[in-house]
Amino acid sequence: MLPAALRGVKAPHLDPRIAGRRSPPGGSALTDGHALSILGPRREVSMPQDLRVPVLRNVDLDHGSFLVEFDAPEMVAPMRPAQFFMIGIPGGETLLRRPYSVCGLPGTFEDGTPGAAQVLYRVVGRGTALLAALRSGAVLDVLGPLGNGFEIPATEGVVPVLVAGGIGAAPFPALVAALAAASPRPRMIYGARTSHDLPLADWFARRTELEVTTEDGSAGRRGRVTEPLEDLLASTHPRTIHVYVCGPDPMLRAVARLAARYAVRCDLALEAHMACGFGVCLGCVVPTHRAGSDFAYERVCVEGPVLEAGRLAW
Amino acid sequence: MVSPDLSVELGPLRLKNPVLAASGTFGYGAEFLPYFDLGAIGGFVTKGLSPAPRRGNPPPRIVETPAGMLNTIGLQNVGVDAFVREKLPGLRAYDTAVIANVFGETDAEYVEVCAKLDQVEGVHAVELNVSCPNVDDGGMIYGTDPGALERVTRACRRATRLPLIVKLSPNVTDIRVTARAAAEGGADILSLVNTFVGMAVDVERRQPVLTKVSGGLSGPAIRPLAVWMTWQVRQAVPLPLIGIGGILEAPDAIEFLLVGASAVQVGTANFVHPDAAVRVVRGIEAYLVRHEIPAARDLVGTLGTGLGP
Repeated sequence: MLPAALRGVKAPHLDPRIAGRRSPPGGSALTDGHALSILGPRREVSMPQDLRVPVLRNVDLDHGSFLVEFDAPEMVAPMRPAQFFMIGIPGGETLLRRPYSVCGLPGTFEDGTPGAAQVLYRVVGRGTALLAALRSGAVLDVLGPLGNGFEIPATEGVVPVLVAGGIGAAPFPALVAALAAASPRPRMIYGARTSHDLPLADWFARRTELEVTTEDGSAGRRGRVTEPLEDLLASTHPRTIHVYVCGPDPMLRAVARLAARYAVRCDLALEAHMACGFGVCLGCVVPTHRAGSDFAYERVCVEGPVLEAGRLAW
Repeated sequence: MVSPDLSVELGPLRLKNPVLAASGTFGYGAEFLPYFDLGAIGGFVTKGLSPAPRRGNPPPRIVETPAGMLNTIGLQNVGVDAFVREKLPGLRAYDTAVIANVFGETDAEYVEVCAKLDQVEGVHAVELNVSCPNVDDGGMIYGTDPGALERVTRACRRATRLPLIVKLSPNVTDIRVTARAAAEGGADILSLVNTFVGMAVDVERRQPVLTKVSGGLSGPAIRPLAVWMTWQVRQAVPLPLIGIGGILEAPDAIEFLLVGASAVQVGTANFVHPDAAVRVVRGIEAYLVRHEIPAARDLVGTLGTGLGP
């Protein structure tokens, strides 16, 4: 069913998967080698841009989750999964921009507007409530691309395992698309409190080997993501696994502990409050290990948002 | 009309235009190279530099508040030696004033940092951070005790030949008292104001939002307070002033110039738009053209009189 927000709205390029509607399984648009080389592990320096861009669509995915699509082709062309934008809403109701992970890059959602990017978000405060109220034709102040992004495995035979918690699914559609050539159906474990907190679950179900968990049992397996993850780690050779994680802090810690126990590569996409997004406010730091027993604070916005789990001193 | 002359002189410090980026909002300068040529602004003030690196306070360190934000970074910085070795060399290529913000926990630490910066090329002035509300030692004591402020200013005055700026705290009953103390101690220039101490509460968790409980309030919320304090100090002390507090756009900066500041610092706005300070420069230039005023210095202290101070 089309979300209420879209009924009667003219949206010629609407991807039915964005709207959570059933559609036949199909290949990713990002299956050619060129796309992979752009998104590959080499760290290109992409200059961030600060642009005022139009909102193309702002799709209500129900239960407080939204997917906003905006037009900034030059900004998003060099982006990698888990890089992020700082998004501000002109008009002065909020002072600072808010960080949002890129969810869809051009080609991620088959019927997304060419050149456009999508951001998945959940209304949690004033900034996100203002964003949710915007309609097509409104404008956003977008700064990006920011941060390092996920590394895509360069070698064959790596088994990507994606672990998402609730709105932490945000960076994974772009990652699934980027992995498509090497790993057409990566493993994914997607957990939340209830079935209402699993935006884009249908999309993931068609593109990944998906296991859903909910704490109340309203969808998938009752419990937490760590249970199916441990099953999987126990049955797969750890050296071939690359775990990608995004979700609430307690989940990140639990997954990091599990990954350490099985000695598998585990990259966390972190979330933090930040004022600037480009390394100067020092508001978004996390403690990381340094030589000896000392620790340092590193910036989620520049050294992250993706950090190897073993680096975190928590 | 020929394009207006934006240059200003603050005692021994000459700036190509009256817009600086404020300490703690501009990193060590290089962070802004992707966004604009540093030569477009009058200069910038570095993150506060201490004798040794400082790790800073545990997160959460920032929270947005109405028309502003609270921060408790706790002076995380690389230390003066690493600044001189790693950050400063790359800045010499830019035609902009590099002002080093100096922090210590004791008189001796302030002096140590000032003396080190006196020996290197490429630093155009030092600004004493005597008003940081977010560290347990030093900082606020110097900012609120006129005797301690005069003493540390005098000690730093002896340690450096560079233009000496003292950044005043607004967390005092009468800012003219500390302004006079800094002047007595030998400051060349006063910058004002640093952040106001504030606090935000998470009512769901019934906890302070920030780990250190209080933080420094910045942003447009403090602008009327900062303009008023600048006006007050202008009447009390003959030194050149740098106005700071919630400047987002050119008219905000012009308020400070009109009440008597010779230059301004743009702070929190740098977080919102990386090129905010450049936008302020362009806006001041457009204002001068529109009002057919030949030079930025002609605005300084002309509030309601049309005459200089």
